Amino acid sequence: MRCLPMVLAALAVASASAHTQESKYYELPKGDYPHDVAVGPSGEVWYAGQNLGIAGRLNPASGEIERISLGKKSAPHGVIVGPDGAPWFTDGGQNAIVRVDPATKEVKVWPLPAERMPYTNLNTAAFDGKGRIWFTGQNGIYGRLNPTAGDMKVWDAPKGRGPYGITGTPKGDIWFVSLAGSYLANVDLETGTATVYEPPTKDQGARRVWSDSKGRLWISEWNSGNVSAYDPIDKSWKKWKLPGEKPRTYAVWVAPDDKVWLSEWAANAIVRFDPATEKFESFPSNRPNSDVRQMLGRKGETWIAESGTERIRVIRHAVRTN
Amino acid sequence: MLARPIAGTLILLFPAAALGAEAGDAARGERAFQRCYSCHSVDPNEAAKLQGPSLYRIMGRQAAAIPDFAYSDAMREKGAAGLVWDAANLERYIADPESVVAGTSMSAPPLRDEQERTDLIAYLALSGRYRP
Repeated sequence: MRCLPMVLAALAVASASAHTQESKYYELPKGDYPHDVAVGPSGEVWYAGQNLGIAGRLNPASGEIERISLGKKSAPHGVIVGPDGAPWFTDGGQNAIVRVDPATKEVKVWPLPAERMPYTNLNTAAFDGKGRIWFTGQNGIYGRLNPTAGDMKVWDAPKGRGPYGITGTPKGDIWFVSLAGSYLANVDLETGTATVYEPPTKDQGARRVWSDSKGRLWISEWNSGNVSAYDPIDKSWKKWKLPGEKPRTYAVWVAPDDKVWLSEWAANAIVRFDPATEKFESFPSNRPNSDVRQMLGRKGETWIAESGTERIRVIRHAVRTN
Repeated sequence: MLARPIAGTLILLFPAAALGAEAGDAARGERAFQRCYSCHSVDPNEAAKLQGPSLYRIMGRQAAAIPDFAYSDAMREKGAAGLVWDAANLERYIADPESVVAGTSMSAPPLRDEQERTDLIAYLALSGRYRP
C-alpha cells in the first residue's frame, strides 16, 4: 500500500444557471481516470481511479488529494461509501470487492471465486439493510458478500451479460439493471433469485439505477436517452426523454429531496429532473468530453466524476421543497 | 463463464505485437477476452445488443467500419484518417486506448500485461481477416 499526498488544484468556480447553484471543479493528477465517485458522511470524497488501480480521497475543504493503491492488478470501476463510513470498491482488475479503512488505510480484498469466473467485469455495488454488499458483474453475474462472515455468493444473471447499476432502497431492498439485457431486476435478499421487470421501451439500455426516498426506481437509459421510473407499489412505469436531438443518458442519482440527477453525453451536461414539474434543467461542463459515468451526493451537493477530463465536479445547490 | 470458444489451442505468431513476449496463445487469449466480453462478441451471429462493435474478423478492418454501429466521433475520425486494426495497432490500443484514439468511448482500463495482450490478439485473429 502506498499513500501519495497530492496538492489539489481547485479550478474555476462557475455558476450554472442561477445564483442557487455553484459548480466547482477539482483537477486530479493525470492518469487517475475517476470512473465513479462517492461522498461520505463527513464530507470526504472518494473516487475509483480505474486506470491506475487507486482509491482517491479528496478533502473538499483543503483541496488535498490522497491516493491509496488497491493492489497490483487493481482497476476499480465503482465506489460507494458503506454504512460503516468506509469506501467499498468493485474492482474489475482484481475481480474482487475491496474496502479501504478510512483511518488506517488498510486495504481488504474479497476475491470472487476464480475457478468459476476469473474475470466478471465487476461494475457497481450497494448495501442492503443487513450490512451485506451486493454487486454486479457486467459479464453476466450478480452477487452478495457478507463482509463480517466473509461469505460470498454469486449468481448467473437473467439473459447473461449486462448487469450494470445497482441500488438499495430505504427499506433495504436491492435492485439492479442490465445494460445489454435492457431490464430492471429485484433480488430476493435471502435466496438471491432475480425477478425481471421490463421497462416500457424495448432495447432501452438500462445502464444505472437509483432509488428515491419512497423506493421508486429511477433508471438512466443509454440507448433510448430516457429516464424512466418504476414504482414497485403500484407496479407502474413512467418515462421521459431528455432534452436534445439524440440524448445519451448515462448516470443517475436521486438526491434526498427526490430530484433526479442525470448525466447526458450528447450535451456534455449534467441534467436535473424534477418529477413534480416534469421539467429538466441543464448544467453543462465547462470543458468538452467530460464523459460523466457516475454521480453520487448528499443533501445540497451532487458529486460528479468527469472521467474524460480527469476532474471531480461538485454542484452545490439549494434544496428545494414542493 | 468463458465466452464460447471459436477454436481450440491454436498458436499464432504476431511479430509486431510480440515485442519480447511469447508468441500469442489463443487459448490463453480466450481467457483474456473475458475483459472484452461484456461489450464485444466474436460470434458472427451474436444476438445481444452490446455496447461495443463486433470483433468478428477484426484483423485488417478499418476503424469505425461497421455501418450501423454508433461509434464515437473520435473513432470515426481515426477510421477516416486510415487507422486499420492490424496486430500492431490492436496491441497499442489495448495497451492504452486513449493514446491511440483520444476520446474513445471504450472505457476499458489499459491491459498492462504484454503477454496477455499478445494472447488476446491471437484469439481475435482466429475468426479470420476482415472481408468487406
